Amino acid sequence: MTVSSWRSSPRHALAADALVRHVVTFGRVLREVGIEAGPGRISDALAGLDRVELASADDVYYTLRQTLVARHDELELFDRAFAAWFLRAPVRPPGRALPPPPRSRQQLARPSNEAAPSAPEHDGEGSRHELGSSPHELLREKDFAAMTPDEFDRARALIAQIAATRPLRRSRRLRAHPRGDRLDLRRLMRESLATGGDPVERAFRRRRDVPRRLVLLCDVSGSMEAYTRALLLFVHAVLGTGPGVEAFAFGTRLSCLTGDLTTRNPERALERAAAAVNDWGSGTRIGASLKEFNDVYGRRALSRGAVIVIVSDGWERQENSTLGREMARLARAAYAVVWVNPLKGSPEYQPLAGGMRAALPFVDRFLAGHNVRSLEELATVLAGIERRHAA
Amino acid sequence: MYSPGPRLETVNAFATIDELEAALREASYLPERGLSTALFLSLALEKPVLLEGEAGVGKTEAAKALARARGARLIRLQCYEGLDVAHAVYEWNYPRQLLHIRAAQEGTVSDAELFGREFLIRRPLLEALEADEPVVLLIDEIDRADEEFEAFLLEMLSDFQITIPELGTVRARRRPSVVLTSNRTRELHDALKRRCLFHWIGHPTIEREIAIVRLRVPGVPERLAAEAATFVRGLRALDLAKPPGVAETIDWAQALAALGREELDAEVVESTLGSVLKYREDFEAVRDGVLLALVAEARAGR
Repeated sequence: MTVSSWRSSPRHALAADALVRHVVTFGRVLREVGIEAGPGRISDALAGLDRVELASADDVYYTLRQTLVARHDELELFDRAFAAWFLRAPVRPPGRALPPPPRSRQQLARPSNEAAPSAPEHDGEGSRHELGSSPHELLREKDFAAMTPDEFDRARALIAQIAATRPLRRSRRLRAHPRGDRLDLRRLMRESLATGGDPVERAFRRRRDVPRRLVLLCDVSGSMEAYTRALLLFVHAVLGTGPGVEAFAFGTRLSCLTGDLTTRNPERALERAAAAVNDWGSGTRIGASLKEFNDVYGRRALSRGAVIVIVSDGWERQENSTLGREMARLARAAYAVVWVNPLKGSPEYQPLAGGMRAALPFVDRFLAGHNVRSLEELATVLAGIERRHAA
Repeated sequence: MYSPGPRLETVNAFATIDELEAALREASYLPERGLSTALFLSLALEKPVLLEGEAGVGKTEAAKALARARGARLIRLQCYEGLDVAHAVYEWNYPRQLLHIRAAQEGTVSDAELFGREFLIRRPLLEALEADEPVVLLIDEIDRADEEFEAFLLEMLSDFQITIPELGTVRARRRPSVVLTSNRTRELHDALKRRCLFHWIGHPTIEREIAIVRLRVPGVPERLAAEAATFVRGLRALDLAKPPGVAETIDWAQALAALGREELDAEVVESTLGSVLKYREDFEAVRDGVLLALVAEARAGR
């Protein structure tokens, strides 16, 4: 088909090569907005279009969508790209492509020294230089918010080492095991062939322990930034231990971090997340964020049987009834709930903030997480955690 | 020894989406256009289709309807955590093997004899591969199975063959059409998704939902169907822990019709609401809050 005839019948009868070009270019548009549409998918799309009525916009739309998109959360992006490319509608660029506001980048890049509240003067024996050369022990005790960039860099290595252990659950899958508690009938049968059907040697299997799902919900509001960075490095290291770890960031809203954390530098992921979930100045909405988690992810049973770790100072800027109710929902579904509050690192701290008080009845373990040592404690707790409430 | 040649054939009886849609309707299922397109492409391109959506939007029902529409046999594998090969593919019949060894007396049973086909218990996946007739294989709630099983499934869906160590490789006689469903309790592995067409099923429009209720609940008064569907749509707009799906609307309409109702009123709604709202918190929130307003809206047909 020539260009002129294509012009004369723009609606139907796309020439095969024009169609191919069209779809291939559309694939590139999709990749630009972050939808992975590889050659396999493109060829599925073309094969599909070959079988449907090209004059029907609906059928073309669904054929492309079903062959090119594999995730529910990409549907909106796809719709925008489809509108832009095939319907030539003017569209705004997708939200996730927006650069984070410069202020967040600056804020999160390095916690400034002034931002460190009540830097514990007593454990600094001299200038920051001397501290920098002090042994690991001192560094492990130091509050994250009081660390210099150098110290934080060294703490980073320590944090990565801690995260290796994970809570386990019993899998239903069986593995051969000499002291197992179930007969391995298949092996038994084979081995008893030699003895005329008498099972002389008994073969056993037992259930295997597999890592329990771990879900981390990190408060990334301004008051938490120094600690969140450290905790996120921890999360990043835990993610490296295998599947079944999910991480979320929350501020005024909730955002899933898992994909970002596995593929990217954790601190950049944090910057992006903080930019995405914080409306500057409007404060943290813990209850609302937990509600969003329960509604969207809890309903998909992400929290069922999981160990949930919430990292937050518990400063709720809204009424606390939502927080209490959502904590109850969360605790019902979860295997155990751990709350990490860096403020608890201070000996004078009392959980008086309304939000923290509302949440505590539903928390199995309440930990500090303000320095490397307390992260070690967190890792130990996670490795051996038991459900406190039997319900 | 045991491998029927690779005679892969799927007969796509439907030349167009419209034909498939008509057949589904014949099979008491009213699909939206996107779903018919997905099922059509799955047959035409011989690719598995992954249906995702909230609970109760009719994912499983779609697979059943497809089987009815094609006159195919439905083989269903319900997934759960810990599902393994012994429950999904095959298992050896140990008691029979043992009896066989005993009966042979002399102890001269060969390995090949003991692990022969007569001692094989076929589970859904093997059954789907070995079937001679057209089959729709429904792998239900794949998100509940663990990741090891997903990897196994990936392998099976790419080659349509399964290796049984004692018997050799079993190849599909004809490629079953495969429908996977997921409630998104977790994100599935990308490699598995790449194998599949993907379709997200949302809640139906109000007109379609009324039509579905009337189709699925024979003899339901027209007015009752419309009011029930409108009421449920109102519930979905609320902030509930578990918004009701189409399945709940159908159950509810059935209950109301069984009570001989012609229309909704506050009293009957309160006494039957349990078949729509399955969480106590949701039930109480609606009963003590917006129930009267929703009944009024439904009766006004808004």
